[in-house]
Amino acid sequence: MLIPKNTNKQRTNVGKHRLAWYNSIYPWLLLLPTLIGLIVFRILPIAGSFYLSFTDWDFLRAPQFIGMDNFREAFSNPSFLQVVANTLLFSALYVTGIMIIGLFLAVLVNSKVPGVSFFRAAFYLPVVTSAVAVGIIWRWILSPNYGILNNFLQIIGINPPFWLGDKSIALFTVSFIQVWKMSGYYMIMFLAGLQDIPISVKEAALVDGANSRQLFFRITLPMLSPTTFFVLTIAIIDSFKNFELIYTMTRGGPQNATNTLVYDVYLNAFVHYRMGYSSAVSFILLLGVGLITYLNFKMKKRWVNSEY
Amino acid sequence: MKRVKRSLLLLMVMSITVFSVIAEETILEWWSWDVELKARNEAIIKKFEAENPGVKINLTTLSTSEYWTKIRLLANQKKLPDVFEMSSGYVEEWARDGLLLDLTPYVNTSLNKNDYYMSVFEAGKDIAGQGKYYAFPFALVTTVLFYNMDMFDKAGLAYPNANWTWDDFKKAAKKLTIDKNNDGTIDQWGFWFYGRYAHIEPWIYSNNGELLDRKTMTYNPDANAVEAMRFLTDLVLKDKSAPSKKAMSAFRQQDIFPQGIAAMWVDGSWNIDNNRTVADKKTRWGIAEVPRGPNGTNKYVNGWPDYFAISPYTKNTELAWKFTKYICGEGLSLDMYMAGKIPTYRKLAESPDFLQKDKMPPNMDILLKQANMPMKSSYSIGWSEWRGYGAAESVGLNGIIDAIIDGDMSFDNGMKTANESINKILKRYYR
Repeated sequence: MLIPKNTNKQRTNVGKHRLAWYNSIYPWLLLLPTLIGLIVFRILPIAGSFYLSFTDWDFLRAPQFIGMDNFREAFSNPSFLQVVANTLLFSALYVTGIMIIGLFLAVLVNSKVPGVSFFRAAFYLPVVTSAVAVGIIWRWILSPNYGILNNFLQIIGINPPFWLGDKSIALFTVSFIQVWKMSGYYMIMFLAGLQDIPISVKEAALVDGANSRQLFFRITLPMLSPTTFFVLTIAIIDSFKNFELIYTMTRGGPQNATNTLVYDVYLNAFVHYRMGYSSAVSFILLLGVGLITYLNFKMKKRWVNSEY
Repeated sequence: MKRVKRSLLLLMVMSITVFSVIAEETILEWWSWDVELKARNEAIIKKFEAENPGVKINLTTLSTSEYWTKIRLLANQKKLPDVFEMSSGYVEEWARDGLLLDLTPYVNTSLNKNDYYMSVFEAGKDIAGQGKYYAFPFALVTTVLFYNMDMFDKAGLAYPNANWTWDDFKKAAKKLTIDKNNDGTIDQWGFWFYGRYAHIEPWIYSNNGELLDRKTMTYNPDANAVEAMRFLTDLVLKDKSAPSKKAMSAFRQQDIFPQGIAAMWVDGSWNIDNNRTVADKKTRWGIAEVPRGPNGTNKYVNGWPDYFAISPYTKNTELAWKFTKYICGEGLSLDMYMAGKIPTYRKLAESPDFLQKDKMPPNMDILLKQANMPMKSSYSIGWSEWRGYGAAESVGLNGIIDAIIDGDMSFDNGMKTANESINKILKRYYR
């Protein structure tokens, strides 16, 4: 029986070809469930919502195409502009608060003192507590006449404000509570970053005579910059998702003072049933978050030191 | 072999019987948002099915927030359930869009009108705005003046009655506003309100006022309505017998009166239930009609129905009507009504049990008197947006009145802002 010399080689090549086909399709097969989920539950609704933002749709009747009217209405409406301003102020307060307090807590619980695990858990506890429960309890604490905080302030001779009722401070109050609730989450991220900094670098700085302040600002903080960048990016995106506390504590009031874009989307979509307008507001929000995140990434090179 | 044949024959006969029963069964879909009544609604279904062989009712119960989103989408797809719960806040919009079966022929020919408070049917007809009955009311809520009897007794004041005027009310509110320990902080307010619809509209209608011009569907409060709003805001700003909104910002609004922080309060009659839960068991409190304004005639009451409606797409119209009539009348029992909700079916409302003499308030008969009166409300399409309701209560007219009593806006500026902003909203809905 005549057997060609290169049969084995040919077989191997054929096998390789078959494997190549298999290799190219195999990852997609594994990705398929996720891709289907992504397309069905994310991309299609986003595309649908994009279309709806150019329509007038109250759910009951078929959507009517109205071009840019929803966007025009939004930008010509003073109360919408107030909502945008509220959202940006909330975001600035939240991100600043979360960065400072999250890092401060992380530095505290990074020390090796007895019982530190308890404090790590305690600081993290508000993160896993229901936002509705947090909102109700803080409303009691901040009650003008019967709340524990105002009673304490009155005892020490301070005339307390209406924390949630005064339109000039209500947004600051809600931002503070959101910071209080979420600081533990960012503390964990900062803690991981702090523990990742090589101890040898810190020791070398100490040998060179750096004091603890110099050690923190000249060594720890710059070396923490990749974590800080990550936390900043996540916190900015998170700052725009502030529905639960506002719904529980102020319902956007007093007088629209704590109404933010996310809450406005909810009101228009599920209270007023203005799905077209609500979609337009959603896309304005998406563009805003996208722009800020883009700028953040652009600025990254200037202050993030990713090598050590 | 014979046995096998016989068994097979029997099986065939049984299958045919079961199949024919299934084939003859008429199914009605019923949607309700009252989660608490689910078990009782199921009991009603059992009774109705027993009385109507071959009928099967499928009940779907959803929480209010879920209910409206889902049923609106079903309406969009023309797949509405045969019978479904309907709110006064939406009935005009749904009737306009042809999503409710016109019940006028049935109400006129197939309803014993002596069995029901027809004033409630008329109120529903007015709200729907087309001169037709589009939904079957099963309950009515009105607005009343709640008053704390103990506080009135302590102040040596006579209880409010049907003849009370705004002046009587104002004097009482002042006398009931007390700083108990002279520390400069009011411990007991005479009255309390904010921009909420059930706090404002009762005063407008008790002064023969109107917020909307129904012919042009514009926001155009007449002089009587403006007078009512000025009277209320002056209670906070001038008389100091009612607190600002911000001073009450930490409370659930419905708890302020039963917790004894205010001696009087005007809101919906359904709050009787919450008052009983929250108020101290020893506290004595009553209800009265909203005091009459200088231009008021006691002719109208601020009230509105809850209904069941029938889908215009139902294939079983007669059966759907029969079932709707059943669940709005003879199929119901008094324990299905939250205290303060008035059954439209007279037999229930006028039974001695409705008055619940062993509980507060001792004068529930006022509700029955109101049920016979003509009613008014401010409902329209886009109501939640222009009026500022629920999750949107910080905006619309609600937000503006709050701004006035919080001292952030003058009364005149508030009225002007309301005029401009609300008409912009209404124009969008009624273009």
